[in-house]
Amino acid sequence: MAAVVGDEMVQDAGPVPARRGNAGWLRRMPVWRWLILVIVGIYFIIPLVSAFRFTGTSAFPAVFRQEGFSSAFELSLKLAVITTVLTLVLMLPTTVYVHLRLPRLRRLMEGVTILPIVIPPVVLIVGVLQVAPGFLKSQPYLLALEYVVLAMPFAYRAFDAGLRALDLQTLVEASQSLGGGWGTTLWRVLLPNLRASLLSATVLTVALVLGEFTMASLDLYQTFPVWIVNFDQTSGPISVAASLLALVVTWLFLLAISTIGGRRSRRSGGAEVSMFSVGRRNTGGS
Amino acid sequence: MSMKAARDTSSSSPAGGAGGSSGATVRLQNLSRSFGTVQALAGLNLDLAPGELVALLGPSGCGKTTALRIVAGFETADSGRVEVNGQDVSPVPAAKRDMGMVFQSYSLFPNMSALDNVGFGLRMRKLGAAERRSRASELLDMVGLGAQAGQYPHQLSGGQQQRVALARALAIEPRVLLLDEPLSALDAKVRLQLREQIRALQQRLGTTTLFVTHDQEEALSMADRVGVMKDGQLEQIATPHELYAHPATAFVAEFVGTMNRIPSEMLSLLGHAPAAAGDGGPDPSGGVDALVRPEALRIMASPNGNGIVTNRTFLGQLTRISVRLSGDVVVQVDQQSTEANAITPGASVEVSLLEAPVLVAERG
Repeated sequence: MAAVVGDEMVQDAGPVPARRGNAGWLRRMPVWRWLILVIVGIYFIIPLVSAFRFTGTSAFPAVFRQEGFSSAFELSLKLAVITTVLTLVLMLPTTVYVHLRLPRLRRLMEGVTILPIVIPPVVLIVGVLQVAPGFLKSQPYLLALEYVVLAMPFAYRAFDAGLRALDLQTLVEASQSLGGGWGTTLWRVLLPNLRASLLSATVLTVALVLGEFTMASLDLYQTFPVWIVNFDQTSGPISVAASLLALVVTWLFLLAISTIGGRRSRRSGGAEVSMFSVGRRNTGGS
Repeated sequence: MSMKAARDTSSSSPAGGAGGSSGATVRLQNLSRSFGTVQALAGLNLDLAPGELVALLGPSGCGKTTALRIVAGFETADSGRVEVNGQDVSPVPAAKRDMGMVFQSYSLFPNMSALDNVGFGLRMRKLGAAERRSRASELLDMVGLGAQAGQYPHQLSGGQQQRVALARALAIEPRVLLLDEPLSALDAKVRLQLREQIRALQQRLGTTTLFVTHDQEEALSMADRVGVMKDGQLEQIATPHELYAHPATAFVAEFVGTMNRIPSEMLSLLGHAPAAAGDGGPDPSGGVDALVRPEALRIMASPNGNGIVTNRTFLGQLTRISVRLSGDVVVQVDQQSTEANAITPGASVEVSLLEAPVLVAERG
């Protein structure tokens, strides 16, 4: 499961900030920062190294040959795509609308969107199963709808940060005064300037779906994480190898998304893309 | 004139109908608008002649921006109407009003180059890519930024961004150009250059323009007529000179330029007959003040003068001197700097009034 989205990180001073050289950046880092980094690093790396030692190298190729692996993996990928698309389509216009027309509701929205984190998944899933129509209960896509709810806090915060970094009202009005309708304004003006938020939301949603276990398991769907846990009862090393693989695949995926997004947005002077925050490059000196 | 017609007639001339297009008439009729308990506009009436640049000037909260936004279509009036060329545009959404607007804050689309920003409105009007490019380039040349066509907003200075914004607003050959304090975010020197450029361009294109500002210098230097607003209504609308020389009300007199308020009974002290109610002033029961410009007063060093210098501010060619007269009345006097050198704070001076007061007003 991914970390919580940080607050926006707005750089809003003077001319375009000069990028520090890598070496300079390293030299400037004080000792205590290194210390924290090393401690946190050890904390994360020890379980991974232990897992790797437990599996050995031969377990990795075996993962792909296991029964149920490909269908579980495929289901997880499918769910990731559906959830991401639904989340973006629902949350982007909603967040834009709240920012533009109902700014007073922003507090409330923040509260509402935190609910899926506060409410335990067990409660959520029981509630959903109570009210979901029958034809949906028999399909794995019900899970996608549940994941949309789970992804909402992250998507909302990503868009919220991106929109705060824009002068939304002025951009929308400028577009309208030039003849742009709502669709055009959203597509040509807002979306490109929210690329960083979009990527951030996508990355978080994908990470969430690929790692979610509780809901899928309670819903009796064999997603990739559920398969790993089930398979653990058959073969420990192969199951651990599968989770290591899942980790690597997810990382590669996220790295690819943010690299592509970052390169594109740098070209047009857009926002910096980092995994959990959106920083605005300044939009000109004043 | 319709957009189509405007475009057709201008396709051969550079920068889209330069010099050729005649502006639209604009009429604001009895516009009212309240936000909660605050009445932003209280029956505003305003007429703009074709090709005219009218500035709306007033303190913040006087309703000038609300008026502009209603004309643009971003706000709706509670009552009243806006007519362009005799047609009520109230039901027309902002996107279809054919009005170019330059905003106070930087409004360029950060994801588009200067050229694409200028071409955006043309794209919305379904112009082909080639024509769009060439017309956008012409407009950028016109504002002197042809060389920056490929640059993105974050690579441009504030002044350059506002020039691109101006080119973008003009590219669609708007029926009306709306300027919402476009210079207020810029530093003084750039502001001065840009206001001359905007005025020259506006006159060349003949676009009817409504310009909102709180900067009186800007309004007086750029506009054909200046409307001074107070509490959601026009206090006075007149040419800059008329407004300065013959303000209709005390508010206008004191808002535009610097003004001294001198109790009328003190005028004799300044070598002038006391102002009477007959001088155009209101009921004098509570006493009246004469409103006098700093340049209408003169001071001379005099050991037994009628005032003491309290402060001196160097303004370049002129020096503004504050003098305390009897009864703690402080007046500002503009004096040629060359003559003002000898007059230092604490000196006794003789203040005299050279010309009749601009206005006689109830004591405020």
